[in-house]
Amino acid sequence: MLKKLTFLKKRVLKLFATIGGTASLLVSLASCGTSTASASSSGSATTVGFIMVGSRSDYGYNQAVYVASQTVAAEMSNVKVITADNIPENSSVTQTMQAMVNQGAKIIFATSYGYFPYALKFAKSHPTITVLHQGEYLTGKFPGNFGTYWGEAFEPVSLGGMAAGSVTKTNKLGFVYAFPIPQTIDNIDAFELGAQSVNPKAKTYVVNTSNWCDPLKQTEAASALLAQGADVLSQHQDCQTAVIEAAKQAHAYVVGYHYDASSLDPSGWLTGSVWNWAPLYKSIISTILSGHFKGSKYNANFVGSFAAHDNPLVLAPFGPAVSSGMRSKILAEEAKLKAGASIFKGPIYCQNGQLLVPAGVTPTYAQINNFSCFVKGVVGTIPQG
Amino acid sequence: MNGFEQTLIGGIAGGTAIVIPALGELTSELSGIVNLGTEGCMLVGALGAYAVTVATGSAEIGVAGGAVAGAVFGLLHAYLTIYRKADQLTSGLVIWFLALGITGVLGTGYVNDAITPLPIISIPGLSQVPWLGPILFRQNLLVYAGYILIALMIFVLRKSRIGLLLKATGERPEVVSVAGNHPNLIQVTAVTVGALFAGIGGAQLSVGYVGTWFDDMTSGYGFVAVAVVLFASWKPLRVMVGAYVFGIALSAESVLQTNGIAINQYLLDALPYLVTLIALVIVSRRGGRKAPEALSRALTDVT
Amino acid sequence: MTKTSVDLENSQGSHEVSPKAGSSSEIASKIKTVFRRHRFVYLSVGTYIASMVVFGLIVFVKGSNPFSVFFVIVQSTMFNGGSLEQIVLRTVPISLAALAVAVPARAGLVNVGGEGQLIMGAIGAAGVGLAVGSTIPGPLAWLLMAMAGAVAGAIWAGIPAVMRTVTGASEAVTTLLMNFVANDIMLYLIYQPWRDRFSSGQPQSQPLSQSAQLPSLFGSQLNIGVVVALALVIVTWYLLKRSHWGFALKVVGGNQEAARRAGLPISRLLISSMLVGGALAGLGGMLNFAGLEIQLVPGITATFGYIAFLASWLGRHDPYKVLIAASLFSAIALSSNGIQLNFGLNGSIVDILLALIVIAPLFLSKNRKALTK
Repeated sequence: MLKKLTFLKKRVLKLFATIGGTASLLVSLASCGTSTASASSSGSATTVGFIMVGSRSDYGYNQAVYVASQTVAAEMSNVKVITADNIPENSSVTQTMQAMVNQGAKIIFATSYGYFPYALKFAKSHPTITVLHQGEYLTGKFPGNFGTYWGEAFEPVSLGGMAAGSVTKTNKLGFVYAFPIPQTIDNIDAFELGAQSVNPKAKTYVVNTSNWCDPLKQTEAASALLAQGADVLSQHQDCQTAVIEAAKQAHAYVVGYHYDASSLDPSGWLTGSVWNWAPLYKSIISTILSGHFKGSKYNANFVGSFAAHDNPLVLAPFGPAVSSGMRSKILAEEAKLKAGASIFKGPIYCQNGQLLVPAGVTPTYAQINNFSCFVKGVVGTIPQG
Repeated sequence: MNGFEQTLIGGIAGGTAIVIPALGELTSELSGIVNLGTEGCMLVGALGAYAVTVATGSAEIGVAGGAVAGAVFGLLHAYLTIYRKADQLTSGLVIWFLALGITGVLGTGYVNDAITPLPIISIPGLSQVPWLGPILFRQNLLVYAGYILIALMIFVLRKSRIGLLLKATGERPEVVSVAGNHPNLIQVTAVTVGALFAGIGGAQLSVGYVGTWFDDMTSGYGFVAVAVVLFASWKPLRVMVGAYVFGIALSAESVLQTNGIAINQYLLDALPYLVTLIALVIVSRRGGRKAPEALSRALTDVT
Repeated sequence: MTKTSVDLENSQGSHEVSPKAGSSSEIASKIKTVFRRHRFVYLSVGTYIASMVVFGLIVFVKGSNPFSVFFVIVQSTMFNGGSLEQIVLRTVPISLAALAVAVPARAGLVNVGGEGQLIMGAIGAAGVGLAVGSTIPGPLAWLLMAMAGAVAGAIWAGIPAVMRTVTGASEAVTTLLMNFVANDIMLYLIYQPWRDRFSSGQPQSQPLSQSAQLPSLFGSQLNIGVVVALALVIVTWYLLKRSHWGFALKVVGGNQEAARRAGLPISRLLISSMLVGGALAGLGGMLNFAGLEIQLVPGITATFGYIAFLASWLGRHDPYKVLIAASLFSAIALSSNGIQLNFGLNGSIVDILLALIVIAPLFLSKNRKALTK
């Protein structure tokens, strides 16, 4: 009995081997054409990979990255772009970076905040690959093939805050955010300070969702804010559709973030801050291709700003609810920021009355990135570690 | 409107996405088939509803699309477990993974599409009732469908022949068969109808409460629905209470935050499961109402 | 476990039922059995081919060439050193969580809690590793983290086991529920008490200090955890197939009444199988944490525990086969990158592939049961 079974097993294995062999032969024949074709078309082009945490069509952060990556592909003839979206912030991203390198990628843009430790580790173990991380501010030493980049996001966000402060009737603004990371705290503070500059009574109510994109939690957060009486909503998550949808249903206004989503709610859209990454991506890639990356401004924490005219985050078009008077006021303020002014010029106080920025002082980006309190006028607490 | 009220409004709306799938799971389990794939059926229901809404422009028709999508996946689970004698838990998990994959692949194009979600309908008169009115009667169509479904389930299970047959199938399929009925057919129907409910629950998320489609947007609601049925020890009224209470627990955090109360959401999130675990211990200890006979056999006979 | 789950290779089952009468009928029945098995093999091959055709069709509908996609799945995973290493790394937690299903399954228990036990293992290891990891020598830290991970996993599996033996609550249900509790506990910890205060505001623990991280093997991306996992598979195989304990588990799983009459301590055996299973999964969580992730982050297990359940089922709860199934699933998960980069298809298409690979044998459950009767 046992012998027979072993015999049977052997035959089955043989059968599998034959089937497998034939199949793989067929497959390799079938795919020969495609793989050689793609190899020849890339020619001497450098492959650049972009990794996104969410969907590339999220009307938000990831779509902004994707659109810019396609611009790079269209405008840089010596570059081949590959992209991967929906890659979670755990060791999966290492696997994706590895897969990109297997595809011939020499430059990798890891575009989500939580990718940072994996990206840095990968750069260290792959010295021939240049890895760029979008959003982190590294305080330690940089390997020669690693850099981070971001923009002074709070600058256009403060302009959005002005628009919000000018239209609110309840003087309550709602702000849904993902995590209490420095960028987000800065954005909320700038939004409130911008609103205060045109409407001293404006207060910003904040709710965090602990997720870069969870439309369900966003809906809950937005509903709660609207129930509090907020009549303008803004947010800092990767996706914004759910928040806009909630505002639209309640006939509230929206200040967008990441991507111009005015088409979702044309009448409620005030303005927003939207990423225009392509120029920065192109500049970084060109630097790498020229062989001068090491020691360059991109082999460090690169932070674009209005003052240097290289802020990748720009003000979105205005919606109909923003009066022409307010528009010119906002644009005048933008011009001032471009001339070197700062929304965080002291005196600025924390919620608890503690002095955050002394009078007359303009903090540096590194200092702003260390803010750990909401400014006076923000309602809500930062979850404490 | 104060925070407490807002919690309840959100809790009822979100709880509807638990209560309808939970009633579906109840139907399935009473017939002796556990469907861990409820999460998957909700997911395809959410996408199905969204896709049909985009195509037709009507969220109401979309709900029907979601129901059908859920039912199709339920039918697969029913076929595998009943006619192919597949292990129920394995089959359920597979249904979930299949749904994750299919919705991921087919849903990519829908992330960017905007829809008009189910409108809020104020029931004349009832919605004017102080306090309770806006909470219970200023909601969308599916929330009301949930109320009706609860009443219907209680009636069917207590008073009707269908309910009797269903329960008999779950306890003693042989007896049902002797009496000239077809237990297999009853089980297939129960599982498919159950999954159809799950699909509607998914629709409540995508075209009802939230109004967008997103990858893996059910994020565990289907598993909460399964937990609710166990918590309720297969009684529809308790399913209702459990589902809404869990819905409220899940939506409470945002409201607490806007009222300046910082609470770690994950303590609240764990609550439904902890309560269910404790309830299970108590129920089993008392030796009270146990699982339908065929169901407990299915849960111990894993091959 | 009932008779239906008796292993294919194990001919005992058919001996028991084979008629003791004359030799001619015995031969006839043997021929019948062989014929049935033949048929089953052809059916198996047929259903697998069918499920691959279904997958190919889905790929085709989404506008890609199925043959190229299959080619890329194989090429992007099997023919690249870096990818092979990544597959092995991911196999570590999946295979150990799958053993956590396989061991209790021998005693007839259903452990759906691999996910939670992995998480608790990681939490246990992180608790110890972050507290003392930087102050003690590496090997001692590894040992302490392993112990903490194993104990945490064992506790997480032990609670449902005790609930089952004392109150009769179905462990299939309680282990499932405890997955969610474990995940919420981890999120709670990394959201507040354990949050890394020195870097970002993202909910993640501090990274494990360099010395406490598992050392890499020969300078590759692999770490020593791979060796440990392989050793644990062998030990588990020995325990199940060769030890007295493993035999006793099988008796309990086969027929509790017979086990009771034979004087076996049933409750103790049931609980011990879950404790061992939970400890294995806990170690899986620890190895994944200390070797790969280095810090606790949301989604650290990424449904590994559920994939492990399917792997154990596909491997028919036999340690070696379970390891093969776990490696297969790990490779499939990894191939999502290749598919996405080459064809622009959504990476979750590999979930469909995984599901179809399990649906094929599920479809044949009835035939398999008929076979072992």
